[in-house]
Amino acid sequence: MDLAIETLNLTKLYGHKVGCTDICLRVPRGQIFGFLGPNGAGKSTLVKTLMGLLYPTSGEARLLGKPLGDIAKRRKIGFLPENFRYHEWLTFRQLLDFHASLYGMSKTDKKQRIPWVIDKVGLSGRESQKIRTYSKGMQQRAGLACALLPDPELMFLDEPTSALDPLGRRDVRNILVELRAGGKTIFLNSHLLSEVEMICDTVAFIKHGTIIRQGTLDELRSAEINVEMRLEGITDQIRSVLVCIALSLTIKGNTVLASVSREEDIPLLAEAVIRGGGRLYELNLKRSSLEEMFISMAQEGENSAGDY
Amino acid sequence: MLAIIKITFREAMGRKVVLISLILAAAFLGLYGTGVHFVARDLARHPNPMLAQMIYPQLLSFGLYFGGFIVSFLAIFSAVGAIASEIESGIIQTIIPKPVRRYEIVLGKFLGTGLFLALYAALFFMIIYLLINLKTGLELTGQWNAMALFTLQPVVLLAVTLCGSTMLPTIANGVVMFMLYAVSVIGGMVEQIGWLINNAALQHTGILASLIMPVDALYRKIVHVLMNPAGDPLQAIQQMGPFGSMSEPSVWMVVYAVLYVVSFTGLAVYLFSKRDI
Repeated sequence: MDLAIETLNLTKLYGHKVGCTDICLRVPRGQIFGFLGPNGAGKSTLVKTLMGLLYPTSGEARLLGKPLGDIAKRRKIGFLPENFRYHEWLTFRQLLDFHASLYGMSKTDKKQRIPWVIDKVGLSGRESQKIRTYSKGMQQRAGLACALLPDPELMFLDEPTSALDPLGRRDVRNILVELRAGGKTIFLNSHLLSEVEMICDTVAFIKHGTIIRQGTLDELRSAEINVEMRLEGITDQIRSVLVCIALSLTIKGNTVLASVSREEDIPLLAEAVIRGGGRLYELNLKRSSLEEMFISMAQEGENSAGDY
Repeated sequence: MLAIIKITFREAMGRKVVLISLILAAAFLGLYGTGVHFVARDLARHPNPMLAQMIYPQLLSFGLYFGGFIVSFLAIFSAVGAIASEIESGIIQTIIPKPVRRYEIVLGKFLGTGLFLALYAALFFMIIYLLINLKTGLELTGQWNAMALFTLQPVVLLAVTLCGSTMLPTIANGVVMFMLYAVSVIGGMVEQIGWLINNAALQHTGILASLIMPVDALYRKIVHVLMNPAGDPLQAIQQMGPFGSMSEPSVWMVVYAVLYVVSFTGLAVYLFSKRDI
């Protein structure tokens, strides 16, 4: 498989404090990859490590098939950091010219590419304004323009829409979808789960510096299916069979809430009730939204830890 | 690296501290020029060759001393946050992931700021030199060598300040650099007193201070290059006082200053290439 990002046990420690540990990621080219996790989970540590801002403690990583720090490949990587600031005393056009020079772009490329990115991020007519006069949202668009400059094959975007209004968010989503259609790979670090849900092909969840789940949205959704049943005549036999099938089981009066890992387990739940002599009135299947999955994963282990 | 040099130079030119420094430099040179003008006019009206030979060199060294002071302050202010402030603001996060090596960032900043400071110092030196030369007719030697040494002063401070900027926050770096500069200035004064009263301990203290920060030693060398007292007892007297140079720093001190620049720039490159951002 042609991978845009590949990490093998990538670890970053700050002394004894864990930044991220044993990160193993395989992101194929041409995808939008969502990277999720609660604050302080290690998201930015991983992004900074991949971008050469932090040095890994151990492990390996390859971007576009080359090891971290490969200068030539950096010409094909765009990055919008989360806590970014640009040279505020420059105009937007001068800023783009400077970043284009850092990418080693020729005058001809600059002439072609700079007007294109200005237009793309919706700042046409504002390019002669100094960055310091830009609103936060406009600065975020300017940052995105800098990341788009080299026509990157791979883009790392750390909270790219946090300062944008809904229209701005839609514009950025459209740009990202368009880039994916052009075969580009996007690593998206975002707290806006609805946005991730809308455009990401695969996602990974990180918690306490470790990746706890990764896969396509469908895979993750089907990793845990919640089933609600209304029935009568619950016996100990039914209960014991249901416990064996379900990952978790809650019984409140005539209502049973069960979580299963596969769709094939759903008819088994119904069968267990019927065979045990119960009467099944209703069976509803509930798929988790990304937000519910996020909350559930973020809280996983925290509650049980709290009981002790 | 050229892009970093260009933007650093432009940024240095655009800083408010430069504008203020230019205004203060103009005020200083205006006052200084007025002083030189009236001294020269009075001595022309009432000629006194011996007094003239005593006062004119003092005026020159006074001008160069405080000129060096202004240029040195500008060097520290220009470089104190060169790396640190970009780390603090987050600008550096947009530069490091680009296809540039970390050493290019440090060297680009060094060359961009260094070029600006060297031009500023050279201009300052030329104005003082021309004021003295044209108004008083004082004959000076080795003005080009002296100008090169005058421009080396801010570059020395730049190298060590840039190095500090790779590991210290902006304010802490500023405090350390001004203390280092003070060590150099006070060390230079102590050394002059040591030569005046022939006290070896004070002389050695001054030399040690010059090794820690060789800016003042460069100034003393400039004074000697411009007014070589060899064989002229009167000129030896001219070198007395806090702005004079009673003992010429050897050429090895200049070599040391150049190596000092190279070492601290190299250390800045090393430290920056190793640190996490």
